Amino acid sequence: MSARRLTRRNLLLGSAALVPLLSRRADAFGEKSRFIPAVARHGGRWDLRLSGLRRIAWELQRRTSVEVVPDARPFALGSPELFEYPFLYFGGEGSFPALTEAEVANLRRYLTYGGFLLADANDGSDGDGFDSSFRREMARVLPQNPLAPVPSNHVVFKSFFLLDSAPGRLLNKPQLMGAMLGKRAAVLYSQNDLAGAWSRSESGDYEFDVSPGGEPQRELAVRMGINICMYALCLDYKDDAVHLPLILNKRR
Amino acid sequence: MNSPTFNAWKLVSLSPLPAWALVLLALGLVLGVALAAWGVRREPSRGRRILLWALRVGAGVAALFFLLEPGIRHLQVARMKNRVAVLVDRSASMSFPSEPGGPTRSAQVAAFLERAAPQFAALQDRFTVEMYGFDPELAPVTPASLANEPARAGTTDLLSAVRSAAGAGQGSRKLSGVLLLSDGADNTELKAGVVGRARAALADLNVPVSTFTVGQEALKDLAVEGLKVDDFAFVRNSLTVEVEIHGRGFSGREVPVVLSQEGKTVASKTVRLESSDDVKPVSFTFTPDQTGRFVYTVTVPTFPDEAVADNNSRSFTLKVIRDRVRVLLVVGRPSWDERYLRGLLRQDANVDLVSFYILRTLSDDPGVVNDQRELSLIPFPMEEIFDTKLDTFDVVIFQNFGHADPSLSIAEYERNLERYIHNGGAFVMIGGDSVLGEGRATMPTLMEALPVAAAGPANPEPFTPRLTPEGLRHPVTSIGTGAASTEAAWAELPPIPGANLTTARPGATVLMDHPHLTANGKNAPLVAVWDYGRGRSMVMATDASWYWAFAAHRDGSPNRAYDRFWGNALRWLVRDPDLTTLKVTADPPSVEPGRPVGVVVQARMADYQPAQDAQVRVELFSVTTQKPVAVQTGTTGADGVVRLEFPPPAPGPYKLLASAKKGETDLGSGEDAVAVRAVGPELSDASVRPELMEQIAKVTGGKSYKLPQDGLPDVPLLDPPVVEVGRAKDQPLWDRWYYLVALIALLGAEWFARRRFGYV
Repeated sequence: MSARRLTRRNLLLGSAALVPLLSRRADAFGEKSRFIPAVARHGGRWDLRLSGLRRIAWELQRRTSVEVVPDARPFALGSPELFEYPFLYFGGEGSFPALTEAEVANLRRYLTYGGFLLADANDGSDGDGFDSSFRREMARVLPQNPLAPVPSNHVVFKSFFLLDSAPGRLLNKPQLMGAMLGKRAAVLYSQNDLAGAWSRSESGDYEFDVSPGGEPQRELAVRMGINICMYALCLDYKDDAVHLPLILNKRR
Repeated sequence: MNSPTFNAWKLVSLSPLPAWALVLLALGLVLGVALAAWGVRREPSRGRRILLWALRVGAGVAALFFLLEPGIRHLQVARMKNRVAVLVDRSASMSFPSEPGGPTRSAQVAAFLERAAPQFAALQDRFTVEMYGFDPELAPVTPASLANEPARAGTTDLLSAVRSAAGAGQGSRKLSGVLLLSDGADNTELKAGVVGRARAALADLNVPVSTFTVGQEALKDLAVEGLKVDDFAFVRNSLTVEVEIHGRGFSGREVPVVLSQEGKTVASKTVRLESSDDVKPVSFTFTPDQTGRFVYTVTVPTFPDEAVADNNSRSFTLKVIRDRVRVLLVVGRPSWDERYLRGLLRQDANVDLVSFYILRTLSDDPGVVNDQRELSLIPFPMEEIFDTKLDTFDVVIFQNFGHADPSLSIAEYERNLERYIHNGGAFVMIGGDSVLGEGRATMPTLMEALPVAAAGPANPEPFTPRLTPEGLRHPVTSIGTGAASTEAAWAELPPIPGANLTTARPGATVLMDHPHLTANGKNAPLVAVWDYGRGRSMVMATDASWYWAFAAHRDGSPNRAYDRFWGNALRWLVRDPDLTTLKVTADPPSVEPGRPVGVVVQARMADYQPAQDAQVRVELFSVTTQKPVAVQTGTTGADGVVRLEFPPPAPGPYKLLASAKKGETDLGSGEDAVAVRAVGPELSDASVRPELMEQIAKVTGGKSYKLPQDGLPDVPLLDPPVVEVGRAKDQPLWDRWYYLVALIALLGAEWFARRRFGYV
């Protein structure tokens, strides 16, 4: 992983891009119904992609009608305040210690009553590191609803952009994993470090190179991020009968 | 004093000796005869032996005669008269002609009874002849009354009549037989024939029932029979109505059958009747498009030479209810408020959700080269949903939907929406930063139909909403099992972050308000409702009711307040019959001819408390003539309920239009439908059933006949088994001198013979 070089041009562009968000009223009416990403604070390295979350919120604001508050809000997994933020990002690099029973119970309740969790292996691990720890904890949180591959016809691949795969900074696994509660995917899990592809430094440069696809893959990762946010907000809206004929026609 | 007339006699013993003494003496005599026989057993002459035996036996018999003192008892006897019941059918079908152009069936029975009068008189020696008409209660009749009083009963119940006859009559006199005069058109227990329990009941009577069938089978008639339809149907779901067209005398004819709803043809078919007595099933499948109770009628044409015209149509009421509430959800942009409302509506099996979200506005840049191929977006079909298809939705929800951008502005369709609500639709406006005074889209025409008006900038401060006194009882906010439970349920919910500032319009009902945010000196409404025209609308002046769905679970306890609130709101908006303030129910929904029309009205106040002492006015409105027929008024009791009754109206479909007031307060209006049938079961099938009459006679041991008859035939009747004893007189037989001489002569002859033969 290598950070991009900070240039004056990039810094100016990045700052200019954030102007529309900063100009909004800090405590505006309707803020709580806007998209505000919450970040899970766990015992490992949980805060490596905060800039990526800020960036994807900004992209959501720019590309869609969704109104956002871009600053991610970190919370302990046992915090009742989580219940004001239905979108929770759970990322990390390397393994992390087991969650407490209270955290497991709170997270289970959060997911059961409508919360959404985007998990992201920032280290691109598979069978070790973050992947191992996260799968272990998910088996405790939702023992009856194990993680399973998300099929390519799932609504998350058409919730805004029409996509076929879910690349991130890496492309270890082309598809997402998910834990379903009824018909709703309460958890989506990427082993491709999605937020790594979104992250920008304070100067506005992308923090990490994307491989193997380079910038086109980064764009797909951003689109996937927007689709995931849209899914959290709109659920299966794009599976409604009124959309299906048009979407099928577009996919031909 | 006249000597009594004796008409019977019998031989009796007049001996004063008790029976045991007589028995002992008789045994002594037998012993004497036996000893005599024993004493002459060695007599070699067979002639002497027989002579001696005969003399002793004769003497013994003579002695026994004197001991028993026989006599003749003269008697005066009389037989008790049993009953014979003559039962005449008085049901309405007996008013039909017995044959085309002939007298009525009742008149033919009356003529027969007149002709049979001498035979009935002859029966009076042994039987009491009782003549009844049954309708189905037994009432005495005479041939004259049968001819003069038309038969009117709505049912024919032959078994009940025969049973009643067996139990009727004077004292304990038994029934020796029944003469049943009817057309056999039974429509109760024997409708299916003499089978099962009806057969056993007839056999258990142990009385011969002789039947006299009146009327000819060759009646010409077309009837709508065998109606099969559910009591209720779902709106916009297909429904099948099945009837049978029974044609007699219409062989080879094609008959049109029409199903209509209150004068409007719904469907029609043609059936071909193959034989002279044919039954053809007809089924109509149609889709009701409105909820409510409606009168439907199945009709066949009336031909000039038909026996009964009234059975050519059959009306029924059908309650059309919604199976699923069709909801149009239009969302200004994705938000958590939208996400939880969608989740709720999607999981509700009673909701058919159609939703449109504005996912991208003109100012958004998705960063794609080819919109069509890279985005899943579809055009916003404004004309389709706000014009052509608007009326197909039960509820329209705008969730923070307000765009000034011409491509997304609904200014062109605001009047459509306002009319939709006014004409009976339901609308919900959910607040946010684009509506109710926020944003640039003011939607003035649509706002006319809402119970609140924008009153200034929104307030972003978190607050705990306050339940108003009206909200405590209103079905929308009544989320508990009672007022206290509702109050407690709302109190448990977390504060919500901010509300639009609005003010209630006159006539609106504010169910929840802001505890300290005010407009025009009044607390700002959070949830307000009202009736607009024939429709209803509701405003939720915040975009954060999702806090009740998600944040309410932060402390761990499950909370269903959000689900209940929105569930209640939908039911109230679509006027769930259980949530109307004036509930009108026809009682019963289908009325037999000649019966009064009943209606139950339940009135409630705006806060859904029973409206006691409310003045209720109900109009019986004929759908056929489109004119009111009668009006009834009444006052509700403590439970808010009153039952009113109209005198029997003419057959046809009717609407019951009710309104209520309490003092000057209007409690609203409501309606129901009622079908007054043209014919009951009696006239819907007027066919003569000789086979049923034959079966009745066969099972009971009677005989079956067909009218006309010249007189009463020899019908089987049980003989009276009981004899009544009157006076008696004894005449002794033994006190004659020659009986004594005979005894002495026999004894003397035996003594002489014994001496002569050497035994003495």
